[in-house]
Amino acid sequence: MNAPAGTFKERAHKALGDTNLKVALDRTTGNARTKRAAAVAAWPDFDEARKQSAAIKDHALDNFAYYLEQFERNALASGAKIHWARDAKEACAAVIDICRQAKAKTATRSKSMLGEEIGLPHALAEAGIRRVETDLAEHIIQLAGETPSHIIWPAAHRTREDVSRLFQQHHRDHRLLTEVEAMVASARHELRDDFFGADVGISGANYLVAETGAICTITNEGNAELTTTPPRVHIVTAGIEKIVATTEHALQLTRVLVRSATGADLTQYTTFHCGPKREGDRDGPEEFHIVLVDHGRTQMLEEMPEMLRCLRCGACLNHCVVYRKIGGHAYGGAYPGPMGSALTPVFDGLENTRDLPHACTMNGLCKAVCPVDIPLPTLLRDWRAKSFEAGYEPPGVQRALKIWTFVATRPRLYRAALAVALPLLRRLGKDGWISRLPFASAWTEARDFPTPPRQTFLAQIASGEQQ
Amino acid sequence: MTNTGGARQAAPKVGLFATCLVDMLRPNIGFSALELLRAAGCDVQIPRAQTCCGQPAYNSGDDGNARKLARQVIEVFENFDYLVAPSGSCASMIRTYPELFKDDPALSLRARTLAEKTFELLSFLVDVRGFRPANVSCKASATYHDTCSGLRGLGIKTQPRALLAAVQGLEMRPLEGDETCCGFGGTFCIKYSEISDAIVAEKAANIQATGADLLLGGDLGCLLNMAGKLRRAGATTRVFHAAELLAGRALHAIGEEKP
Amino acid sequence: MNARDAIFSALRRLRPEHLLTDALDAQARELAAAMKTCLPPLEFSDLVENFTARVTADKVGATVERLADWSGLPEAVARYAETNGLEKEAALQPDPRLTALNWGGVRPAPLKPDTMLAVGAARGGIAETGSLVFHSGPDAPTLYNFEPLHHIVALEARTVVARFEDYAAAEKGQPQPRNVNFITGASGTTDIEGVLARGAHGPRRLHIVFIG
Repeated sequence: MNAPAGTFKERAHKALGDTNLKVALDRTTGNARTKRAAAVAAWPDFDEARKQSAAIKDHALDNFAYYLEQFERNALASGAKIHWARDAKEACAAVIDICRQAKAKTATRSKSMLGEEIGLPHALAEAGIRRVETDLAEHIIQLAGETPSHIIWPAAHRTREDVSRLFQQHHRDHRLLTEVEAMVASARHELRDDFFGADVGISGANYLVAETGAICTITNEGNAELTTTPPRVHIVTAGIEKIVATTEHALQLTRVLVRSATGADLTQYTTFHCGPKREGDRDGPEEFHIVLVDHGRTQMLEEMPEMLRCLRCGACLNHCVVYRKIGGHAYGGAYPGPMGSALTPVFDGLENTRDLPHACTMNGLCKAVCPVDIPLPTLLRDWRAKSFEAGYEPPGVQRALKIWTFVATRPRLYRAALAVALPLLRRLGKDGWISRLPFASAWTEARDFPTPPRQTFLAQIASGEQQ
Repeated sequence: MTNTGGARQAAPKVGLFATCLVDMLRPNIGFSALELLRAAGCDVQIPRAQTCCGQPAYNSGDDGNARKLARQVIEVFENFDYLVAPSGSCASMIRTYPELFKDDPALSLRARTLAEKTFELLSFLVDVRGFRPANVSCKASATYHDTCSGLRGLGIKTQPRALLAAVQGLEMRPLEGDETCCGFGGTFCIKYSEISDAIVAEKAANIQATGADLLLGGDLGCLLNMAGKLRRAGATTRVFHAAELLAGRALHAIGEEKP
Repeated sequence: MNARDAIFSALRRLRPEHLLTDALDAQARELAAAMKTCLPPLEFSDLVENFTARVTADKVGATVERLADWSGLPEAVARYAETNGLEKEAALQPDPRLTALNWGGVRPAPLKPDTMLAVGAARGGIAETGSLVFHSGPDAPTLYNFEPLHHIVALEARTVVARFEDYAAAEKGQPQPRNVNFITGASGTTDIEGVLARGAHGPRRLHIVFIG
């Protein structure tokens, strides 16, 4: 990722003032929440299935080396070539190297968040390889020159009116379209030649299946198969945490993944890809490469293993009150929302990203909707503790907590302080409310504050009042 | 008010943890809790040495200071049969103490013991005491916001509604997004006030859309946030902690000073 | 140390292996079995009925008809073409069950990126979601499922199983095909405002013909 512009608060401020963004976010996340709720309502044991799904992922992660090695062995036997990458740089280098060997001029790409995480679009551009994004949303943001703002709906920040304008400007067919169906048809037409003319197709993977050596892609549009089948070379980039033991486990996880993401029972296309074209096949890639990427996964296995369960469904984004207000770009990382706030400090360093785990109300809805029950609030709270311990917190906050604790662990002093403070605070009140607080003006910028009582509850109890 | 449910044995000793916000800003909730617990057959005491549960420190990542405050709560309340607080948020925090002391076996055990007997007021009244209020009436329409710590941290959803159903004349109206956070989030609302404002503005609009006379909830922090926003938005919705209504003490809403 | 060794050494340090292969297999089976106790309910006990209900639901939007045997398929394809204003011309998946038929009034055509109509034969179906199963191979090239705008798929009723777990059990230990496609309805996208629109890159229409 390139370094995002400004601070988190500056980006959030900008987003909050963007009324178009508000419309787009309300429409996309609102639709997503409604559809997920309907899907979950039709599955009485969904909550139990979430716990079982977590156990299935944990089983693979508890025996990580065993299953990853089994995957590698089976994938090699299928004719796949495996490349290992410790970090983003090695991963991009591996992809570029394969492209160069294939003398590739054009690469089609089906949406992969790992690709965004390791900065693959940028690396392809630097290597002079023309990149064609084929997922509709990725196509939209490629035309707009943007990065994804959602992990399932990368163009969640764009309204249909925005898309219409972009297509009119960039597509060969310059008509102004108003219906979503017509915009989809226009993109189909626009991308058709590239699907069949590309030298390399790059995809991600939702799972790496140990027992078969297959990788799985899950899409609605069919762009993954059209990206991976016609070109001579198919490159898969995948985080090593995508490992699962069996095909059965992968299919079971897909049940909760898809319902959590779009509210469908299953995506239109769930495909297991295993090795290159075989004898007698009329289609399929001649070379099949899998780039397996660590990029912080082994660190997470030590520090927050639950996060490695993440299926990238996006439910935590759609349900997060903060994401819904500021959208994805304000977060400044490849992954936004609660899961992004847990992941980004691993990739970009905590000191630069300390706002992310703090910009959370700890309301717990993200955990409740997570299909693999990741305790996101706990993980974010753990980042806060690390940040505090590392001294990244503002001196004012550190001092305030020190003073508060000093006073609050001395009940007599605490009582005496309140006995002085409350009457002073009361003087600011008018008609029962304070419209400007001296030490917490951030509160009264947007809200009023009720005038406090003359005496605290405990003081009133002590003086026998009101009993 | 009389107790109408639950088998009576010896009155359990309950330590009422008022919470710092109720203590400082709304004693009426403390008195309401006291009356409700007594009506539910409890022997209630209000320890003088109580202050803060440590949540602001804990949520800021300041585990050292959070431990100091947690230790004090343990010492003050561990000899009661129950610790009851009129707040899902503070009760959740106390239930988190064992995690805070996981590297200290002795305190960890004491923390676990306290956590197991710590309850939020409304759920304690229903789940532990089988209590329903009697002879309480309130001719008004009301809507209920499920505060997040109680709802998802402690599973409180049906209990306040069961209690409110016993209030004569009270008409409950559904609230769009009643399980969605109001944007308070403790220090979040100060640290990220602009985002918090956007969230509570949506909440206030949903509350106003119900047309209800009253907004009820179970956590003063969230109620202050919503009441303050409603007031700023010019709404006339009156805001109470559910316990105030249940105790028949819903005379002056938040921001309505006693004459 | 190369990247592979570095990754494996970290994984082994953090998660030392302690179970034997048989014990791991047993654990994996137990986990799959535990999930089977909390599955979403099937609406109908009849598998074809359930398949049909799922795949014709609004959010999937395929259409379905049923024939007694394969011989009626060419006529059904001709009917579909006529109803939808298409030429009576179709790219036929080279499945012997299809190529053995007398196509009479339907002209076979090669598969192209802009093929209007293709006819395929599925290997099986999954009743719980209304999903078609294809295994790629000489008689089932992958692109037949993705290039046409209209896709008609014949599915033998007897090959429909209830659950994904039933599919997995039947395939356990079999060689893994190059591609396994589970196809659930026509191509669609919700990428613009979360609203479903069809025909993104794959077929805009999926018509399923049950055989038997």
